[in-house]
Amino acid sequence: MHDKLKNRILAALFLLIVAGGFLLHVFLPDAARSTAERRSLAKLPEITLSSLLGGKFSQNFDTYALDQFPFREGFRSVKAFVQYKLLGRKDSNGIFLAEGHIGKLEYPLSESSAYRAAEKFVQLRDTCFPESQVFLSLVPDKSYFLAEQNGYPALDYEKMFAIMKENTPGFTYIDVTDTLSAQDYYTTDAHWRQECLEDTALRLAEGLGVKDSFKWEYEAIDIPDFYGVYHGQAALPFKPDTLTYLTSPTTEDALVYNVEMGKTETGVYDLAKLTDGKSMDMYDIFLSGAAAVLKVTNTHAEGAAKGRELIIFRDSFTSSIAPLLLDGYESITLVDIRYIASEFLPQYVDFNGQDVLFLYSTSVINSSSMLK
Amino acid sequence: MLFSSVTFLYFFLFAVLAVYFIAPRRLKNAVLLLFSLFFYAYGEPRLVVLMLLSVLFGYVHGLLMGKFRNKPRAKKLCLISSVCFSLAPLLIYKYTDFFIANLNALGASLPLLKLTLPIGISFYTFQIISYTADVYRGDAAPQKNPIDLAAYIALFPQLIAGPIVRYTDVAHDLAHRTHSVEKIGEGALRFSIGLGKKVLIANVLGELSAALLTTEASILGAWVRAAALMLQIYFDFSGYSDMAIGLGTMLGFRFPENFNYPFISQSATEFWRRWHMTLGSWFRDYVYIPLGGSRVSTAKHIRNIFAVWFLTGFWHGASWNFILWGLFFGVLLLAEKFLLKGFFDKLPRVLRHIYLLLAAAVSFLLFDAPDLASASERILSLFGGAPLVSAEGLYQCKNYFTVLLIASIGATPLPKRLTERLFSTAAGKKAAVILVPLFMAALILVSTAYLVDGSFNPFLYFRF
Repeated sequence: MHDKLKNRILAALFLLIVAGGFLLHVFLPDAARSTAERRSLAKLPEITLSSLLGGKFSQNFDTYALDQFPFREGFRSVKAFVQYKLLGRKDSNGIFLAEGHIGKLEYPLSESSAYRAAEKFVQLRDTCFPESQVFLSLVPDKSYFLAEQNGYPALDYEKMFAIMKENTPGFTYIDVTDTLSAQDYYTTDAHWRQECLEDTALRLAEGLGVKDSFKWEYEAIDIPDFYGVYHGQAALPFKPDTLTYLTSPTTEDALVYNVEMGKTETGVYDLAKLTDGKSMDMYDIFLSGAAAVLKVTNTHAEGAAKGRELIIFRDSFTSSIAPLLLDGYESITLVDIRYIASEFLPQYVDFNGQDVLFLYSTSVINSSSMLK
Repeated sequence: MLFSSVTFLYFFLFAVLAVYFIAPRRLKNAVLLLFSLFFYAYGEPRLVVLMLLSVLFGYVHGLLMGKFRNKPRAKKLCLISSVCFSLAPLLIYKYTDFFIANLNALGASLPLLKLTLPIGISFYTFQIISYTADVYRGDAAPQKNPIDLAAYIALFPQLIAGPIVRYTDVAHDLAHRTHSVEKIGEGALRFSIGLGKKVLIANVLGELSAALLTTEASILGAWVRAAALMLQIYFDFSGYSDMAIGLGTMLGFRFPENFNYPFISQSATEFWRRWHMTLGSWFRDYVYIPLGGSRVSTAKHIRNIFAVWFLTGFWHGASWNFILWGLFFGVLLLAEKFLLKGFFDKLPRVLRHIYLLLAAAVSFLLFDAPDLASASERILSLFGGAPLVSAEGLYQCKNYFTVLLIASIGATPLPKRLTERLFSTAAGKKAAVILVPLFMAALILVSTAYLVDGSFNPFLYFRF
């Protein structure tokens, strides 16, 4: 009797789940994108004879079915909860929690990647700016401060730094690691906090020889509810960060020109990114997010800064620190060779003896194939 | 299409169950056939034609053998023809490049064909052979209805990864099966357990196994990887079999069991009575016994054992790894039968368990490696050549410890015994009415959560 009833309940529940999943999937509207994952979601694929026969339709439909699954974020949270809380996993998909931060495991060290990065930088120097004074500085990712200290595997940072230093002859290395700590990074994001970068910016200014022009006179403006990139990946309830940006007359009046696109950007802080409905990352307010070549002009440049120019080869960490170096220069050109092939650079950048800084995070150095 | 996919669970299965249970009884096999063909064609639209041709040849040969039932010579010719027609696509699609590569190694320079292996071809080929062989022996009557025969061979629950359901297993069900809400419930529970085994354990152990391959080598890491791999393959394949059996039960069929806690075995002989049981019994009934089995001279008996284990390995894959894997078990079985019988009987049970687990661990390292060089490297890494422990290896062991523990306990009959004891009392039976459905719902929803979040979801037995 009990068995019969149990099996009937099992049947009803199973059919309810399967039918419920189907009906919700069909009738709930599809989402255009996932903010948590910073990506567009798949749309229902079109059926064509070639896509059906070639098996492409089934592949695309599987992706669509996963991307548009009802309550997808909720299900991702269920998995995260099971992984971290029930199964005692130390990381899930490489995401770990330590000291109130969400971090991403970055290991092991890819020595070949570090050698490739160094070779790329030297090659750029030799072909584009052989006469320039060239500097190199590496930004440690958050795992530098959190991983090993909390029992997680970490890449061999010292070995990476050594490879980079030894294989970039003629470059002046600026070590910023001792100016940073885990607290200088957002808890839910990979990036550092602009408001915490006084020591780092000063160290760079010292290394670049513009310390005399360096000022730390900013007004801090807070933007609440910044859910960083790791927040979405962790899929766990985590308090959002506050994103703070620093303004001064120099940053307010700076002119930002997107050289590759041939258009003038709003400014060093592009607040339109918060409301334009296109940007998926609040960190994009810093220099409008990803761009191949930007030129930032300091309209207040005076004294030693007048006529002084800097070119920074960079990744996204530079977006938030470059405005803090602006007082030392009349212009800073930012080049991201993840988005433009190096051979095209002379078309967009006038190399004429400016100082050049290679400022890269350790994550990029460890995956340097993305540098074109 | 994979059972453990959102597309299967929430689209295909919903549609199948809705149409199947609405359809009148006489159309149910046709509905199953149509959905099975769609299921197969979803991933490989062109190769469905090959399967249909194989079914057609099996059908025609079955009818011819029925017609020649009083003409033994003609009937035998039909059987030989049927086996040749069934094996030809398998040999061409699965083994041609293996033979070419070996000829090339001997000096030839033939181009590889690089044909796409039709999913499930090893399974449906064996089912067709079992059908015609059973008709030949008179164990089954020829199926006159082509839809019923095609529905049996193409039946989606067991089409792509078994269990190998023989025609005689389901001949009665094809015509006279019954349906009930209770069977749907029973099947749903079995399916959900299989889904959980696959998604929550096998896939996760696969991550551990992959992680330990790329971390700094250590002896501890090598042993943990061997254990993880062994459990991964078991939970992957037995999970799939559970899902297949569960789906069959929902649709009114009774499929044979395929696993019976193989890791509790105390010998390789016992292991193969508990592992992939439908394949083992298929080779016993259609190869070993027709060759004479054990009722021949010792030399022929040994030949028969090696023939079966060579074929078992070769069935799993067109590579020397798989052949050696099969022969490895052949050697163990022979040793247990002829050399070590008395010795084994005297060994304490715990030592016999350890022997079997070690043998299984080594065998699955051979099974999993991409080539012989990697296999020997991975097997040797169990015994030295690296530090005892590496920091990364230790981290991964801690990271996956709970899942490994659950898998290790889950591979024994302990959970089943405990739940049976728990639910055997009057109060337990009452509690089961609520607890078991809740457990099933949790399994499905958490598995769905894993599927929605992750992309690591390959079925190991797809390549067979």
